[in-house]
Amino acid sequence: MTPRRRIAITGIGMVTPVGNDARTTWANLQAGRSGLGTIQHFDASGFPVRIGAEVKSFDAAAVIGNPKVLKHSTRSQRFALAAAEEAFMDAGIRPKVSDGHRWGFCVGAGMMGVDYRELEIVQKSCAPDGEFQPDGFLADNFPADPVAFCRSQTNSGLALLTRHFGIRGYATAVHTACASGGQAIGTALKVMRRGQTDFMLAGGFDSMLNPIGLSVFCLLGALSTDNDAPARASRPFDLTRNGFVLGEGAGFLVLENWDSARKRGAKIYAELAGDGNSLSCYRITDSPPDGDGPIQAIKQALADAGISADEIDYVNAHGTSTQMNDKSECAALRAALQSRVEDVLVSSTKSCMGHLIAAAGAVEAAVCALAIRDGIAPVNANYSQPDPDCNVNLVRGKSQLKKIRAAMSNSLGFGGSNSCLVFRNPEEVE
Amino acid sequence: MNPPKKIVFTGLGAVCGAGRIVDEIFDAIVNGRSAIAPIKQFDASRWPVRIAAECGVENKILVPDRKLHKSISRTDIFGIYAAESAIQQSGLPAHRETLDAAATIQFNDRSGIFAGSGGGNYGCNYDFFPAMAESGGDLKKFGQKFAESVNPMWLLRNLPNNVLCHVGIRNNFKGTNACITNHCAGGAMAVAEAAAAVRAGEADRAVAVGHDAPFEAETLFHYQRLGLLSPEIVRPFDRDRSGTVFGEGAASVILETAADAESRGAKILGEFLGSGCTTEATGVLDVRPDGDGLGRAIVIALEDAGITCKEVGMIVAHGNGTRASDASEARAIRRVFGENPPPVTGFKWAYGHLIAASGIMDLVFALTALRQKIVPGIFTLNLADPEFAPFPVSKTSQQPRSDIVLVLCRGFGGMDIALLVRANP
Repeated sequence: MTPRRRIAITGIGMVTPVGNDARTTWANLQAGRSGLGTIQHFDASGFPVRIGAEVKSFDAAAVIGNPKVLKHSTRSQRFALAAAEEAFMDAGIRPKVSDGHRWGFCVGAGMMGVDYRELEIVQKSCAPDGEFQPDGFLADNFPADPVAFCRSQTNSGLALLTRHFGIRGYATAVHTACASGGQAIGTALKVMRRGQTDFMLAGGFDSMLNPIGLSVFCLLGALSTDNDAPARASRPFDLTRNGFVLGEGAGFLVLENWDSARKRGAKIYAELAGDGNSLSCYRITDSPPDGDGPIQAIKQALADAGISADEIDYVNAHGTSTQMNDKSECAALRAALQSRVEDVLVSSTKSCMGHLIAAAGAVEAAVCALAIRDGIAPVNANYSQPDPDCNVNLVRGKSQLKKIRAAMSNSLGFGGSNSCLVFRNPEEVE
Repeated sequence: MNPPKKIVFTGLGAVCGAGRIVDEIFDAIVNGRSAIAPIKQFDASRWPVRIAAECGVENKILVPDRKLHKSISRTDIFGIYAAESAIQQSGLPAHRETLDAAATIQFNDRSGIFAGSGGGNYGCNYDFFPAMAESGGDLKKFGQKFAESVNPMWLLRNLPNNVLCHVGIRNNFKGTNACITNHCAGGAMAVAEAAAAVRAGEADRAVAVGHDAPFEAETLFHYQRLGLLSPEIVRPFDRDRSGTVFGEGAASVILETAADAESRGAKILGEFLGSGCTTEATGVLDVRPDGDGLGRAIVIALEDAGITCKEVGMIVAHGNGTRASDASEARAIRRVFGENPPPVTGFKWAYGHLIAASGIMDLVFALTALRQKIVPGIFTLNLADPEFAPFPVSKTSQQPRSDIVLVLCRGFGGMDIALLVRANP
């Protein structure tokens, strides 16, 4: 058989609650600075939860420039445009007219989204007293907005980014709730191994930090209600954890074939080495207490990368800071990594930047690549009271310097989709 | 080098306006019965477009578990039903019964699911209207009020990946999986990804399912304003075509290795040969007039299958009946197949455009038609658009040239998918 293609990560871009680019995000995660706070960009003062992890001081017009692109993009798509641009700049390559058909696009995104103000327009015309009357659309004065319609479509982000950057090969959007970003990068890996593309822009973007998104997570009771102490509200694996903090942002990687990356002298952050993917088949919102499901994803990812658990030095955990997820994930890490679990450093960077939902896995993959490059395991912030059910080797107090031979990123979604990605240090590969 | 693994189909399932059994829907197609009728889900009598191919079957008939209905949506009901139908036909659950405990665990961990999901529609947001009306634009008040009127299960009901998860839970299929939310391309891509996973040895078998309940008043309104909808009929490739018509439902196929299917004595319905996926990078709505993306997708699928275009015996086109899409689709087909393409047909005149479910629905009936060695006619065709001539579409049925069919699927975002499959009689 022909040897399997090796895939290199050569570009990183991020827009997160702790920084509007990858460098700032990474510096703040290392320092354990919190991006959490009282929600500022809409009036959340009446909501049961008033805290979130917002992207701050993001000047879309300055970053994106093109007014037409601005008009066609949602809040989270603007983060995506900025993160993707940064990833291309960082990689030093981007699609050209001559090779756009060899570039692919995989993104974690694709839940239909309607801006609250646009929903208000429909409500005023079609449901002034609350009850929906379809004929309201037919009124002469109904302000139909075809651009708003396009923005709301499930693959509008894919349409916008492929057009803006000239990507004409394989393109997909996946949405397995909180596992989306990880699954998108795993899909990109598989598509590249199949030889369907030579280059890939892979990642995720999301913002459910709006009145509707906040409402529906409040209704589920999944969010931390620590409204008066937002900086410590996300404390993954801590005994007192009480829910996640809703975040927003985007993360993208540029992927290319290892040999061609080497040939052009590109800097390689890490090898995107393995993907594991499973279903828990347990319950829709509950995590299996024994870790069944995530265990298979972790084992598959290791096998796919062709390494043993002994080579893993750092795990970027899903670690949402809910009681159930963190317990289940630790059980899975114990079962899958066995004795190695005592030595592997584990942290959840959601402690600083909250939960980016469909973008979480993508941003956390980027964090793993940077952790490998710099030999730093970022801190699991806000950890003070150990939970006997979360008995893993957490990065406590401050980030740790350590050569990382291989890193792992877990993303575990509502509905039981589990994604695990394995990244290898270039020095270990060659 | 080992020859690539042979991947076969062992189960098919479908539900749409034309029926909820594959043979029943196919009977409607070959006998020229369209399910397109006046819309019933809301009073559309004053609307410029008031037709669709709605699925009238009640939830409890499709998914008897009434408790589940509270936490999922209509589109999920379609998807679960179609997947369960395909799984039943495949005989996989009965086969699993014969395995010992260790082999059962292995079986479950090696069974994947790939869903193409519509990803939601406008209707779910209407649940917030009472709270919005009451708060009169005051967000603070809205924040205090919404919990009184919005179902606490709202997010669960509207998760894009519900079908993936519930089909998993019901069947204990725990393997590799994806939920593809790529507008019309989702269902066809679910088939391509499921096949790729089995081929690469990531799973031994996989369920592919596409499902959608794509329209309600607001979607209908916007599509109509954009000129995408016909007020009366879908006429793919007709000179007088005037747009598409919405449908709803789901379709599913079971894929597994030929070695597994043969060893357990399963009925083999067809073989997956290859797929191609591209985008034209034209934004949400536009398509390139030259059919660039679709032409490239077809060529990639032929290469993936290791066959030439001469071996293709029939084409089931996307044929959505809009002016721009059909014209560029015909050009793409002509560009690859030249002056003498194999017989071309399309099925949207019969069950409407199912958006995320459209490509996989067309695949199920492409396979069904070719197993019976027939290219069903486009029943609504009056006059094939002379602009594409020679282009072998027909109102009446045609003869396929071989046992291989090319299925085409297109979607928003300039997406183009081509699937190649061989039918087994």
